[in-house]
Order: sequence, then C-alpha cells, then structure tokens
Amino acid sequence: MTVDLILFLILALVAVATAAGMLFSRNAVYSALFLVLNFASIAVFYLLLGAPFIAMAQITVYAGAIMVLFLFVIMLLGAEQLAPIKVLPWQRPLAIGLAAVLVAETAYLLILRAKPAADIIPPAETVNTLGELQRLGMALFNQYLLPFEVTSILLLVAMVGAIVLTKREKGERE
Amino acid sequence: MNPTTFAAILPEVLLLVLGILILVVEPFWKEKDRRNTGWLTFGGLLAILVVSLLAGRPGEPTSVFGGTIRFDWLGFFFKMLFIFAAAMTSLFMMDVEKLGRRGESYLLLLASTLGMNLMASASDLVMLYLAIETTSIPLYVLSGFIVDDEKSTESGFKYLLFGAMTSAVMLYGFSLLFGFTGTTNLYEIAAAVAGAQVSTVTALGVIALVLVGIGFKVSLVPFHFWAPDTYEGAPTPVAGFLSTASKAAGFAVLVRLFFIAFAKNGLAPDWTTGLAALATLTMTLGNLVAMTQTNIKRLLAYSSIAHAGYVMIGVVAFSNLGVTSVVFYLIAYILTNLAAFGIVAVFSRVAGSDKISDYAGLSRRSPWLAMAMLVAFLSLAGMPPFGGFVAKVFVFAAAVKSDLVWLAVVGVINSILGVYYYLTVLKVVYLYRMEGEAEESHPIPLTRPYGIALVVLSLGVLLIGTLFAPWFSASGAAALNLF
Amino acid sequence: MVPEIYYLVLSAILFTMGALGVLARRNALIIFMSVELMLNAANLAFVSFANTYQQLNGQIIVFFVIAVAAAEVAVGLALIVAIFKSKHSIDVDQMSSLKG
Repeated sequence: MTVDLILFLILALVAVATAAGMLFSRNAVYSALFLVLNFASIAVFYLLLGAPFIAMAQITVYAGAIMVLFLFVIMLLGAEQLAPIKVLPWQRPLAIGLAAVLVAETAYLLILRAKPAADIIPPAETVNTLGELQRLGMALFNQYLLPFEVTSILLLVAMVGAIVLTKREKGERE
Repeated sequence: MNPTTFAAILPEVLLLVLGILILVVEPFWKEKDRRNTGWLTFGGLLAILVVSLLAGRPGEPTSVFGGTIRFDWLGFFFKMLFIFAAAMTSLFMMDVEKLGRRGESYLLLLASTLGMNLMASASDLVMLYLAIETTSIPLYVLSGFIVDDEKSTESGFKYLLFGAMTSAVMLYGFSLLFGFTGTTNLYEIAAAVAGAQVSTVTALGVIALVLVGIGFKVSLVPFHFWAPDTYEGAPTPVAGFLSTASKAAGFAVLVRLFFIAFAKNGLAPDWTTGLAALATLTMTLGNLVAMTQTNIKRLLAYSSIAHAGYVMIGVVAFSNLGVTSVVFYLIAYILTNLAAFGIVAVFSRVAGSDKISDYAGLSRRSPWLAMAMLVAFLSLAGMPPFGGFVAKVFVFAAAVKSDLVWLAVVGVINSILGVYYYLTVLKVVYLYRMEGEAEESHPIPLTRPYGIALVVLSLGVLLIGTLFAPWFSASGAAALNLF
Repeated sequence: MVPEIYYLVLSAILFTMGALGVLARRNALIIFMSVELMLNAANLAFVSFANTYQQLNGQIIVFFVIAVAAAEVAVGLALIVAIFKSKHSIDVDQMSSLKG
C-alpha cells in the first residue's frame, strides 16, 4: 500500500460520498455545497494526474463560478426546502435498472480493453510541470487555435442569452 | 495564414462579422425601425452565401487548423445549406412579436449557424464537441426567447435539460474513444480502429454512447422525447430552424464520424444493423403518432421525426449512393419543412391558433398561402413532382442497392402512412369551410418577408423535384469525400 | 502506483450517480447539478487517459468542456429563473403546459 494508493482511496471515497450527499440531500443549498466539495476533490485528482492548470481551472471556474451561480439562484428562488420526493412507482426501479446497465456496460468495456493495464505516472516523474503549462499554452494557441476562438463566441452567446432571458425591457409590463 | 486556410473558415468569419455588425447597429435604430435588423441579417446572409460560393470553394480535401477542421466538399455543401436555412429563418423571424424586433435573436441565429458550420467540417473530437455546444446553446435561448410565454420558457428548458444530458453521455463516449485510441483526431482514430487496437465490443459500446448525443440532435427514437414539446412551445420560426438545420447538422456529424472513424475493420455491418432498427422505429413511431395530433406544430414535429428515419435509411445503406441520397434528401427536406413551418408562422400570427381545425377554409381566405401549403405538404408526403418524391426515391434506391430491400419496403409503407395525415390537413384547408362561412372578411395578409421566403422555398421545392440532376451530382461530389 | 483502471472505475461510478440523479430527482436545479457531475466524470476520464498516453489533447478538451459548462449553466439558470417567474415552482412534474 503506497502513499499514492492510500491518497487515491481517501479522495475517491470523498468524491463518491459527496456525490451521494448531493443526490440525496433534502436541502438544495446542502446539495450545492456537497457538489463544491466533489469538484474540489476532483481538482485534487487532476493534480495527482499531472494537470495543475486544469486543477486550477476546475477550482476557479467550476467550484468558484458555476457553483456560486447555482447558490445565487437557489437563494433567489427560495428553493432551500425541497418537497419530499413523490416518485411514480415505476420510476425508482427504472432508474436503478438503467444505472445498473450503465455500470455493467462501462465495467465490461474497461475490463475487455485490448491495451494492458497501465499505471498512472505521478506528476513528480513527468517533465517539469512548469514546462507542461507552457506546452499546454503552445498547444492552445497553435494546434487548437480555432476551438479557442470559437469558445469566445460561445461565451458571448451565453452572456447575451442570459441577459435576454432575465432582463425586463423598458416599458414591458411585469 | 495561407489562402486555403482562410478560405476554410471564410463563411464563419463572415458570419461573425455580420453578428457583430448587427449588435453594433441595432441600438442606433429607433424602436419602430428595429425590424430592419431582420432585413440586414437576410441581406448579410445572402451576401455570405454568394461570397463563399465564389471565393471559398474547396479543392482537394485538406486538414487545416491543426487537424481540427477538414476543408472538403462535404463540409462546404452543408455550410451553404445552413446559411440558406438561416437566411429563410431570419425572414420568418422578422414579424414575430417580441422576437423579430430584438437584434439579439438574430445574433443567436448567426452564432448557431456558425456552430453548425463547424459541426459539418470538424475532424477532431475537441472541435466537434465545441461546435455541437455552440450550435445548441443559442438554440436553447431562442426556444425560450419569449419570456412572458410560459410555453416558450418551458420548451427552452426542456430542450436544454435533454440536450445537456445527452451531450454529457456523448462526451463520456468521446472520453472512452480517446482512451482506447490515444488521439482525438478522427482520421487517426480511424487508423487506430482499423489497426485492430480496439476490440469490436468496446467499439460498439462507445458507438452506443456517442449515438445518444447524435440521436438527440437528429431526434432519433428513443431520443426524440424533447422534440414535440420544444417545437410546440418555441416560436414557430425557431422551431422551423431546429427541425431543419439543426437536424441536418446532426446528420453531417453522424455521417462524418461514423463513416470515417467507425468504418474500418468490419465494424460497419454491426452498427448499420443497429441504426437500421432505430430508423424503422423512428419512421414508424413518428408517422403513427402524427396521425393522432390536433395541433399542427406537434404534427409537424412528429413528421420531422419520421423524416429523420427516412434519412437514416440512406446512412444505413453505407454506400456512395447512400450518402449522396442523404445529402439530397436533406436539401429537399430543409426547403420543404422550412416552408411548412413558415406557413404555420404566418397563419398563427393572424389567426392566433395552431389547431388544425382552425385552418378550415384557408383556401378561400388566402389562396396563395393554401397553395404554398399544398406544395409543402405534398412534398413532405413524397408526391411527384416535388422534391420530397425524388429524395425518397433515391434513399430507397440506395437501400435496395445495398441489399436492404426490407428497409426500403418499411420506408415505402411508412410513406403511405404519412400521406394519410398530410392529406388530412390539406383536406381541412381545401374542403372544409370556416365557421360562419365568412372567409372573405377574414383574409390572411402576407407581409413582405413572409412572401419572399415562401415564394423562394416553394419554387425551390418544385425545382429540386424536377431539375434534380445538378443537385444530385453536387451531393455526389460531397459524398465522395467519405470514400 | 495507482493503476489507471482505478480512475476509470471511479469516473464510471460518478457518471452513473449523475445519471441516476438526472432520472430520479424532480427539482430542476438538482437535475442540472447532476448533469454537471456527469460532465466532471467524463473530464476525469479524459485527464486520466491524458496521463496514460502522455498526450496533452485530453487536458485541452477538458479546458474546453469547463468553458462550455460555464456557458451552459449561465443559460440554464437564466431559463430556470424565467420559468420560476411565471410558475413559482421549479418542480419538473409541474412543467406540463406542453402536453407530454
């Protein structure tokens, strides 16, 4: 049992537990906070996998912006208290059945892979991580320049869309 | 940047310029003149079409921009289709209250068209995912645009939820695809699949996951549940755009992804059988449920679902003729369905209703509108001499030529089922009379943008049905890029 | 050393939990959060594959997925707010003005 493995298992436990907490919580604010913890644990995974920039992006954007936006809306709508779940009788078994199928398929796929199982290379053994950030930047601006620019259009669209949907024009009645 | 590289993204750059122009110019117009934004969009899109046809034609297929984009006839052809569909939609949007007077709606339309252009030419998983989302997110907003109408916001939200869910599943499929091949470029993935690095079972599992996302975009059964609700609630021109251009973009991705990445190593017979089964389900369910509808937008929604099934037959045929027939069918279908939704938009604007029974006596209230409806619906039903007939002939011919005669037979039977409900609507339009029989005092005025668009589309439907040879050879040139 | 397969199993578990959340919950916000969980599971798979193959592509696509998710959430929450203004409820079972 190396340190790596123990660390992984603890973090995996945290990730799964917080995901479960998000799913089963009665209070929407608690769900959002559980999800923030989940995202933070995934950010630590990214660090372990040698992706420091993505880890920072995850914390800044996902945990720091997206979840904050969720919390704003939850508080705005007063949705903290959720009604007890009244599900149609066939819904629960169907969901569990579909989930089982998904797990079975994914497990089957992973076990039948042709490639021999490889180990994750911990970040200390890869090339100097600062160099990796440089490589990421180079790739973003050379090979993946077009997707990068298109993302800016997407963000413009999201801004325009959000404003259009929520702002009341002058003279429009409530 | 050399000329070829720039020519590859010329339409997209022009679309962006037009979008920014609209955003900048719109505030300078007085409130009552805001409608002119629609004319600006229409003119701009036509200009983009002409410039791209003159200066942006591809030569030999090349991969540009680091392998994220493939510059070839297939992508180019679809791009022109999308720009044309957007031009017609901008005309239809102009006179819809609360939609046509706001420049943002045109910007969203252009952004979505830009995304579709990239979808048609993407050759890397990164670009593909980004393009799909760039197409979808403006459409979510456009569906929910009329904020005061609770049907509109609900349809936008349902569309978004379903879309986000299916694209997450598709992204997971992409991650497994990356995991099994070690690359995100479609052509390198094809090489990895051909080199037997990936076992058949895993490939089929990945295909199933990816199909969830693509099936959503083309409204394939069982991923079609969003379509009727979204089409009913969204503003009618937006529903028209969704049902034509967005679906065609999904097919462009399907054809490129499946025929390039998953075609080698004997995988094809496996997934074509699966797709054939889905096509059958789609056609049958679409046609059967359409027969029970009383709301014309829902009827058109189920009819669009059925048409996706017909196009799928061409994909399943897995041959040069198959892809040619797919492209040709999409041309005819875009023209026809846009016309159909346009007519519904005109009518509901004046009469305020989407119920089929309210269309009674339309032939006397507005003979030209009824004639356009006749053209559109007969083409949808697959009657000669309209485009829909020729398109169906080619698709079924492709199936027969690939030894899939049973599929062609299913298609023909479904077409016959379809004729029933299309003719029912036409019966109401032509043979029934309005309540009170006072049709002359309730005419349906056609404003200029609607008139132009409907004339162009109806003539186009007739043209495709009669002089189809040039369109067919252009589709063939596009199909050749995949073989 | 952590075998790569552990990461993939974790990602599969998180993905399934997200899918369960989407299918079984009724509150629109929770459903949306479950979709974000699914996206994160896919991201985790991408980054772990990027590590195995020492290929930067996996990390780059995650970069774009994060940006797209931000845009999607902005629009989605705006729509939820718009719906709430008219219905005063975000229970998806009550969103039935469109005939199912």
